[in-house]
Amino acid sequence: MQILAQLIVSGIAVGMIYGVIAFGYQLTFATSETLNFGQGEALMLGSLVGLTVVAVTGYWLMLPIVLAFGLVQGAVVERLGVRQAIKTKSESGWIMATIALGIIFKNMAENIWGRDALKFPSPLPEAPLSFMGVNVLPMELVIVVGALALMLAVEAFNRKSIYGKAVVATAADRDAAGLMGINTSVVITFSYALSSMTAAFAGVLVAPVTLTGASMGGVLGLKAFSVAIIGGLSSGMGVVVGGLILGITETLTGFYLSTGYKDVPGLVLLLLVLSLKPAGLFGRTAIKKV
Amino acid sequence: MRAHTFILSLAATTMLAGVASAQPIKVGLTGPYTGGSASMGVSMRDGAKLAVAEINKAGGVMGRPLLLVERDDEAKNEVGVQIAQELINKEQVVATLGFINTGVALASQRFYQEAEIPVLNNVATGSLITQQFLPPKEKANYVFRFAANDTIQSAMIVDEAITRRGFKAPAILADSTNYGQLGREDLERALAKKGIKPVAEEKFNIGDTDMTAQLLRAKEANADVVLTYGIGPELAQIANGMAKLGWKRPLIGSWTLSMATFIDNAGPNGDGASMPETFIQIPNTPKRKAFIEAYQAAYKVDRMPSPVSAAQGYDSVYVLAAAINQAKSTDGAKIRAALENLTAKVEGVVTNYDHPFTATDHESVTANMPVFGLVKGGRVVPAHDEDVAGANALRLKTH
Repeated sequence: MQILAQLIVSGIAVGMIYGVIAFGYQLTFATSETLNFGQGEALMLGSLVGLTVVAVTGYWLMLPIVLAFGLVQGAVVERLGVRQAIKTKSESGWIMATIALGIIFKNMAENIWGRDALKFPSPLPEAPLSFMGVNVLPMELVIVVGALALMLAVEAFNRKSIYGKAVVATAADRDAAGLMGINTSVVITFSYALSSMTAAFAGVLVAPVTLTGASMGGVLGLKAFSVAIIGGLSSGMGVVVGGLILGITETLTGFYLSTGYKDVPGLVLLLLVLSLKPAGLFGRTAIKKV
Repeated sequence: MRAHTFILSLAATTMLAGVASAQPIKVGLTGPYTGGSASMGVSMRDGAKLAVAEINKAGGVMGRPLLLVERDDEAKNEVGVQIAQELINKEQVVATLGFINTGVALASQRFYQEAEIPVLNNVATGSLITQQFLPPKEKANYVFRFAANDTIQSAMIVDEAITRRGFKAPAILADSTNYGQLGREDLERALAKKGIKPVAEEKFNIGDTDMTAQLLRAKEANADVVLTYGIGPELAQIANGMAKLGWKRPLIGSWTLSMATFIDNAGPNGDGASMPETFIQIPNTPKRKAFIEAYQAAYKVDRMPSPVSAAQGYDSVYVLAAAINQAKSTDGAKIRAALENLTAKVEGVVTNYDHPFTATDHESVTANMPVFGLVKGGRVVPAHDEDVAGANALRLKTH
């Protein structure tokens, strides 16, 4: 029982990491039906910029700087990689462009910060907390709380503020929103900025636990992508649940089945979702008129 | 008079040009300078460059300077294969040094074998590496090694854990790469020789950040020691995961536990991890002292990222230079023959090389040479001081 609880707790911590990255995929998909395939790299850049800044400012002051950096980085990705593709209604231009930008960012990071995995200082004590025999790192709690808080903040912004309403309107129907006087291209730029901001925030959040480094985005970005598919790209809530499902299945399979098969059930789940409910567990099925 | 001076100066100019443009001897250098095993690749490269600079300063080899053609194989098998073909066909190297990753070495070195160009593996440890092209099946084997192979390392790990330190229930944690899985098999075999079966055998992937499942399985099996085969970042996650679960068991594993990425990322959690090492950064011979000081001065570091890789990279250049000198040729077959019967004694950092290879034995490191290192306060120190003191400091190959 204690072991099961420990596995689930660790699974939640890992799953939340996947979820918060996947949330970034969801943000841009909602407004523009495009994704930033360099989402993992946005996370990596956020965390490495954080690592540099944290030495000067300390952990808490570093956060707003990293958030601002994320906003700018996302806007740059949209301007360079996505805008042209949307303008010309290219179905795939943005895929190659965002992947290419991701590779460029990774190479840049390798030149600036080197190629090794680096330790990110933890703002909290690194000794584990113990609840009834279940151990959890203070930082893991921060990841869960921080990720949820960030996602709630973005959702609240979208629902309550006038700018957020523009985002929601664009997500609902880009052409109609445009006719209503919403500058949809600014909204799309903004959603990319927001998406990279969440990724950058996720980067500094998870780095004390996962280590940071130029190659950290690869595996995490890919896992988050399957989470986004499982949960549904059109639902913010879906990616959180998807993340938790993937994280918990991974640790449970690892323990009860075999650590060699840890990644298999997640992929099986991905295939099942794709064949049975292609829009994802929580996604709305969109009917595309041709 | 004036014409005379002109002719003299013309002659002088041509002579000078002759020395400066002495055709350099091209030597390939391949390793991962990016990615998870970069600290080993970069240290190996820096060690090799140091040796080349010293040799060229002293007049080169056969009056010609050595020129390293560096290529980053990114620890990827397919990139390694491309580089092998480029170095052989386009750059026309006389020999290639390098290979950090067993998988890359196994995929790439057949091209050198076919082209009859010697490969000097200076870091990769997979047992199979020097056994791929054995005569009489092949005419000659072109693959040599300057590292302690996994058969040696796994036997040492098991000896240290079971015999020297008296553990009874080992768990094995290995990554899912060629390196980890071949190492796991070697560990199993070494344990079987002592009549011991590991209580748990767990796998993890490169990039895994959570080791809860693996560690809980080892814990449930009542393991009293954890034997590892993986690389730095994931090994650090194992040490950190142990601290998180409040389940501390000694980590004993392959030499990758000395990687900077393990030591730095595990921090205090990594203290006490121990591993076999061909070279520890302590100046216990004059050659080692000179090497450490030269490395520190050239690359402005105090702690070498991977001392073992740097030392083996450095030594491999000197042995190759001696072989080219002996062969009096840059022909691959002649260099190979010289390596297999090297009459010059080469003073190295890891050891002194006296007939390091024969036609049938392409391993310069034997089981008596590595010693156990221990992570302590962010550095690797000897695990047992008596292993590196006095006559034990310099260990020679047993023939």
